[in-house]
Amino acid sequence: MILLELALYFGMLSLIAFGGMPAVMSEMQRLVVDVNEWMSAAEFIQLFAVAQAAPGPNVLIVGLIGWKVAGLAGALVALGAVCGPAAVLAWWVAGLWDRFKDSPWRMRIQRALAPLVVGLIFSGGYVIATPGAPDWRLWLIAAISAAILLLSKLNPLWAIAAGAVLGGALL
Amino acid sequence: MPPAPPRSLAELFLGFLSIGARSFGGVMPWAHRVMVEERRWMTEADFAETVGLCQFLPGPNIGNASIVLGKRWFGLAGALVAFLGLMALPFVWVMALGLLYADFSSNATVRAAVTGVGAAGGGLFIGTAIKLARVLVRKPAALALVAGCFIAVGIARVSLLIVLPAAALVALHLAGEKQL
Repeated sequence: MILLELALYFGMLSLIAFGGMPAVMSEMQRLVVDVNEWMSAAEFIQLFAVAQAAPGPNVLIVGLIGWKVAGLAGALVALGAVCGPAAVLAWWVAGLWDRFKDSPWRMRIQRALAPLVVGLIFSGGYVIATPGAPDWRLWLIAAISAAILLLSKLNPLWAIAAGAVLGGALL
Repeated sequence: MPPAPPRSLAELFLGFLSIGARSFGGVMPWAHRVMVEERRWMTEADFAETVGLCQFLPGPNIGNASIVLGKRWFGLAGALVAFLGLMALPFVWVMALGLLYADFSSNATVRAAVTGVGAAGGGLFIGTAIKLARVLVRKPAALALVAGCFIAVGIARVSLLIVLPAAALVALHLAGEKQL
């Protein structure tokens, strides 16, 4: 039952996505490409690109994956699964948050999570830009895009546009 | 005039709809513009506090923010309305773009340009990670954890269900020892 599989995998991702979607992108790619073989790594980077180019939360790549696997129902189930469990958790924690504003364990968890999130977002970027054997052209595009983000105040959309032009010219 | 929460569910819906519809290149800056500057639903400090909470929680940050704020203002109905408002138009945009792409993906140049966009998106992740890592550079234990997570998840492709609990235990211990 493919819809159930989508719901289970993305529901699980929802609850381990500390640091947001970028932090689980490499795990998502592993589940979608390596574990379930729903698509190739090259197709994954293309769906990721479509979601990046459209406005809206980056979680929408999950809708595209669901669509590819099981049509509109798949899109809705996958998106619901990746948002739902986290949303329920957010609902319950929202009230507690203010009460524990200055509690030492909250600070401790935050300090502990920070390096993990950084390492996982690095992984996501690396896995996306390396959809097969390492390709210097994809890494060059990724490096230029990272430089635009870090060294300029331009909207990240310019990095996306540069990627489209360079991709069309180099690949 | 001090900031005031939205007065109706309709206003809440339209506010989140306009965040979702316009959020090219990242949602958080648009969420800030709509809720703090344009509609003046909340103060700067409120916004920062809510974003802090949602970055702490697992799941899509802005999706969680819509739940937390919707609940604060209108309870369950508010949480649902804010979430659906946020997602409605981006969902249509992304699906439409996906269908359009499916039509043109047999064209080699289109496929190359789209793959380039994907690599650029990956580069934005790497840039974001570097930004976040700046506060960690003086902490060797933190850098070791960054490297460990990257090697395990990015290179060795070990399941996050194994890496996350293991790394979290180590990190919580180190944070207790004041090394993070």
